[in-house]
Parts: sequence; C-alpha cells; structure tokens
Amino acid sequence: MQHTPRAVAWAILFAGFSCLSSLHAADSYQIAVIPKGTTHEFWKSIHAGAVKAQRELESQGVAIKLHWKGPLREDDRDQQIQVVENFTARRVQGIMLAPLDSQALVKPVAAAVDARIPVLVFDSGLKSDKPISYVATDNAKGGRLAAEQMGRLLGGKGKVILLRYAVGSASTEERESGFLAGLKAFPGIQLLSADQYAGPTRETAYSNSQNLLNRFGRDVDGIFTVNENSTIGMTKALRDIGRAGGKVKMVGFDAGSQSIKDMKAGDVQGLVVQNPVRMGYLGVKTLVAHLQGKPVEKVIDTGVQLVTPENMSQPEFHELLYPPLSQYLDK
Amino acid sequence: MTDANPKPGSRWSASRLLTIAGPFLGLLFVTALFGLSEDLRPVFYTGASWKNILTQTVIVAVGALGMTLIIVSGGIDLSVGSVVALCSVVGARLLEHKAPASVTILATLLVGGCVGLINGAVIAGFRMLPFVVTLGMMGIARGAAKWLADNQTVNFEGDSIVVTLMERVRPDSFLPLPPGVWLAVGLTFCVAVILRSSVFGRHVFAIGSNEATARLCGIPVRARKVMVYGVAGLFFGLSGLLQLSRLTQGDPSVAAGLELDIIAAVVIGGASLNGGTGSVMGSVIGALIMAVLRSGSSQMNWPNYVQEIIIGIVIILAVGLDRLRQSRAS
Repeated sequence: MQHTPRAVAWAILFAGFSCLSSLHAADSYQIAVIPKGTTHEFWKSIHAGAVKAQRELESQGVAIKLHWKGPLREDDRDQQIQVVENFTARRVQGIMLAPLDSQALVKPVAAAVDARIPVLVFDSGLKSDKPISYVATDNAKGGRLAAEQMGRLLGGKGKVILLRYAVGSASTEERESGFLAGLKAFPGIQLLSADQYAGPTRETAYSNSQNLLNRFGRDVDGIFTVNENSTIGMTKALRDIGRAGGKVKMVGFDAGSQSIKDMKAGDVQGLVVQNPVRMGYLGVKTLVAHLQGKPVEKVIDTGVQLVTPENMSQPEFHELLYPPLSQYLDK
Repeated sequence: MTDANPKPGSRWSASRLLTIAGPFLGLLFVTALFGLSEDLRPVFYTGASWKNILTQTVIVAVGALGMTLIIVSGGIDLSVGSVVALCSVVGARLLEHKAPASVTILATLLVGGCVGLINGAVIAGFRMLPFVVTLGMMGIARGAAKWLADNQTVNFEGDSIVVTLMERVRPDSFLPLPPGVWLAVGLTFCVAVILRSSVFGRHVFAIGSNEATARLCGIPVRARKVMVYGVAGLFFGLSGLLQLSRLTQGDPSVAAGLELDIIAAVVIGGASLNGGTGSVMGSVIGALIMAVLRSGSSQMNWPNYVQEIIIGIVIILAVGLDRLRQSRAS
C-alpha cells in the first residue's frame, strides 16, 4: 500500500508548517509593501524607511503591521500580480506598490481599489488614475543631472553610451529620456549606443556590459547606467578591460555599497542618488494619512542628488550613501 | 492515476481509489494547514481568496493538461514557458493591429499547436530524445518571441474580449469567476474523458508503458507521438492566450521557468516521468496544491525563500512517493 510513506511525508511537512505558522502577528493597520524585487540594496533601504515610519507611527499610538513582500521570481510581472491579488484577498487596509510594469499592473490595482483597498504607487509609475498617490524620485531630473555631470566630465565633447535597464519599467525609462534630453545641451557629445538593456540582475548587467564594451570599448569616453545593478556590472566590465579609473567616465544611478566602493576607488565619477529610505518612509506615512481620512498629495517627490568623488564625504550625503539599514531591519 | 494494464479484482479498485484520492487529500491537507493560523483563517477561506487561487492556477493547469498527455506518453516538454511567451506576443501583436478577437484566439492556439507539431515530428521522425529537442525549442521559441516583440513588451489599445478572459470582476466575491477558470474546468473534464476512454487516449498510455509492445500491437506510434505534442501545443497556446489576458500585454520574457511549475504539477498529481501513468485530474489538483501553497504563504507573509523551499519539498516528496510506488509495483 502506498499511503504509509505518503502519510509520513505529509506529517513531516505538517511539522514544518506548524513551526512556521507561529510567525504570524496580531492584527492592526495592515499595510502590504510590494517592491519590484527584494535583493537590491535599494529595496532594503525602502524597507528600512517603511519600518522607520511604522516605528514613528507606533510611538504616536497608531499600530501598523507591515507585510513586506516582493514577487517570488524577481522581475516577473505575473508573480507581482499574484502578490497584489493575494494581499487584496488578504484584506489588508492598504497596499504600497512599486509596479514592475506601468501597464501589466493596472488591472490588479483596479481590482484592489474595487475591493476598497487604497493603493499607493511608489518608485515607478502606473498608467492609471486609481492610486491615491505617487511617491517617487523625479527620475527625469535624475537623468538630466547625470547628463550635466557627463557634459562637465567630458568637457562638452566625446562619445557616450547609455545602457538602458529594461523595457516597461517607467522609472528607468524616465531616467533614460531625461539623460538623452539633458545631453542635447552638449552638441559635441555623440551617442554611440542607446538601445542595449542591462536586464534584471547583476549578472545580466555584467555580461551585457561586456558585450557592449567588446564592440565600443576602445571608442567610448563616457557611460551612463540607470540603476544599481547596471552601474555595478558596467564598472566591473570596465575594470576588466582596463578602462576604469577615469579613462572612461562612468556615471551611474543609486548608491549600492559596491558603487560607493567603486567611487572611492576612482572608477565611478558620478552617482545620481535617490532617497529610498525617505521614499519608504513617506509612502507609509502618506498611506496611513489617507487611511485616517486626511487629504494627501497626488505626487510626492522624494528628491534626487548628484554625488561625485569630490562631494561624497560631505556630511549631508552620509545617510544617503550609507543608509542605516541595521537600525531598522533585523538582518 | 489510471493504470495502463488494470488488474481485475477488488484489491485493484481499492488501491486505485487511493491513488486517485491521493492528490485530492494533499490539496485538502495544504488547505487545512493555513487554517492553523488564527490570523489567516478569516481571510483565507473566503470566496475572494479562492477566486484568486483559481485564477492563479489556470495558466499552469491548462498547460498541465497538455503536459499530462506528453508525460503519460513517456515524453517531456521543456519548451512550454517559451511557447507561452511566444503565443502571448503573437496574440498581442495581432490585437495591436486591430485583429478581431476570434482571429487572435485562433492564431494564438495554432502557433502553439504548430510548435508542438514540430517538436513531435522531430522527436518521432528522428527518434530523438524529447528532453533535447524541447530544450532546443525552448531557446528557439523564446528567441522568436523576443524577435517578434522587438525585444520589448507589446502593448495594444482598447479592451478586447481576449483581455476579459482572465479579468476578475467584483474581486470581493467568489462569483463571477473569470471565463478562463470555467474554460479550464471544462477542458479538464474533456481531456480526462479523452485520455481515459478514447482509442487515442489508450494508445497514449500504451506508448508510455512500453513503446516496443505498443508498436507490435499495431499502434502507429510515430503518428500518435506527433499528435500528442501537437494537441499539447494547442493547450500551451491557450496558456499563452490566458497569460496575455492576465498581463494585458505581450511580454516576451514572461513565463520563464513555467515548464517546471507545470511538470511539478503533473508529477505531484501522480504521473510518472517514466511514462504510462498519470491522470488529468491529478495534474490539475497538483497545480492547485502549488497555487494554494503560494497564495497561503504569501498571505501568511512568509518570506519568499520559505515558499520556494516548501514547494521544492512538496515536489521531491511527490516524486519520492512515485518512486516508492514504482518499486512496490515491480
């Protein structure tokens, strides 16, 4: 008979489940925070900011339970849709979402709003008027800052590459078009390539950068990359071919700890830095304000700044470059 | 499971009952597990929650219908995820060019069917390993999808009937379910009947149990194999259509690794990768088990790695049980 081993197997599974089910917490204002992924440091900073807001609100007597949950397969739109649907069914009081795609997440968000769960969109836009607010970096401005820095570094002339991130990601597309618009102020700068994509992981960014440099490595004078992974991957690829250290001017986006190391080492000449801690913090505060019936701004800009090797040691950048993650996150 | 060479007598029917009930008991078990959490109980057993789970199962379940045919016949298909992406891009391109819904649906299914026919023809014609052929097709179809989509997502204007296939109206209540769910339920019954009762279905079991014997019995093994992959391809095309409906866009990078979910569903449902055993109901329940686990652990707010580990354990357990069953049978 085959049911005996089956029973044993299910019993083992059951035991495992029983341990895990003790993880649940008491109910309160339940807020689901859904990032695009969970492995980037950027998202960890968002998480830290959300926890910061949670603690602050708790000290004011508003109990918040945060559900931090990214898509199971990172950068898989369908998986993120599932997470939104699950929290809609879970009947949380509010959802904070960084949509992986400005189109694909429209329907699930509409369904959540239909179920009377307010949705706040952060980091990256959504082609919908249902969200209560959009809390994000002014990404086009970030792209323009990068273009200005590139123009300064190259003295207004040279050949540059724009490595894009992924199609459908609104935030990075705004950075890309902001950069291209900003470059128009420098007629002496020629664009070698602006149609390659870094892809979702550090590994895809690295190998796509290698391919790009294989083709243009000798000619290129400056490179702009639009997020954490592509900045790290491209810098690594530049080092491999001995063109790092300022031979090719490297301007990146986001303050990953590796990028900051690379800047200290002289391999990165500019980083456009967002304020993810502030984004997570303002997201939760805004959503809770809405839940309490207070009016909220439709668009909230969380700020963007250019960090260079010259100004990186200034105290006002310290928290941006070294976000106090351990203060808010367990590990 | 359906036994290829049923032995007469009461012992057979008892064990058969048990194996059919196995996946179903598994489903009840995982469903009950999430009731252990007081936090989750009031929200997990709601119509809204089950509407969710069913909607999330559909794409894997429809794929599992096709995959069950293939696995029962002793084959495997690794190209499903890529075929789903390709079909979703084809559908999106057609909608982008204002093709009517009927043309879009038909073309999407046919693309899936054609890819399946090619797989089957190469496997049967050149006597190549299905693993290798479909591994190759996995790359070809994925590449074709990206090519056809210009390496971007394909967005179309307007609301087509295609988009409403997976649309959840009134997310608060169980009914109405999206049409895609009903479609999957209907197809499940059709395929179950065809596999159990039609000549074609019996041939599929015979080929999977012992190909040489099947050939000696006069079954046109090659033709049947081509047919199996072709029919399965139609289901994968339908999965692609449903994926398109769900994302409301054609995404060439979607469904990477979906084939593994589908194979896992079929295996959890009691099929053997050696061929000759498997049941359509079991496979669909296998897909449901995984969806319940995913939705439940997501709602429990367990970190993703916990979900991945649990689903991995379930797959190994299911295959381990299959091995035990095999060794006892022989």
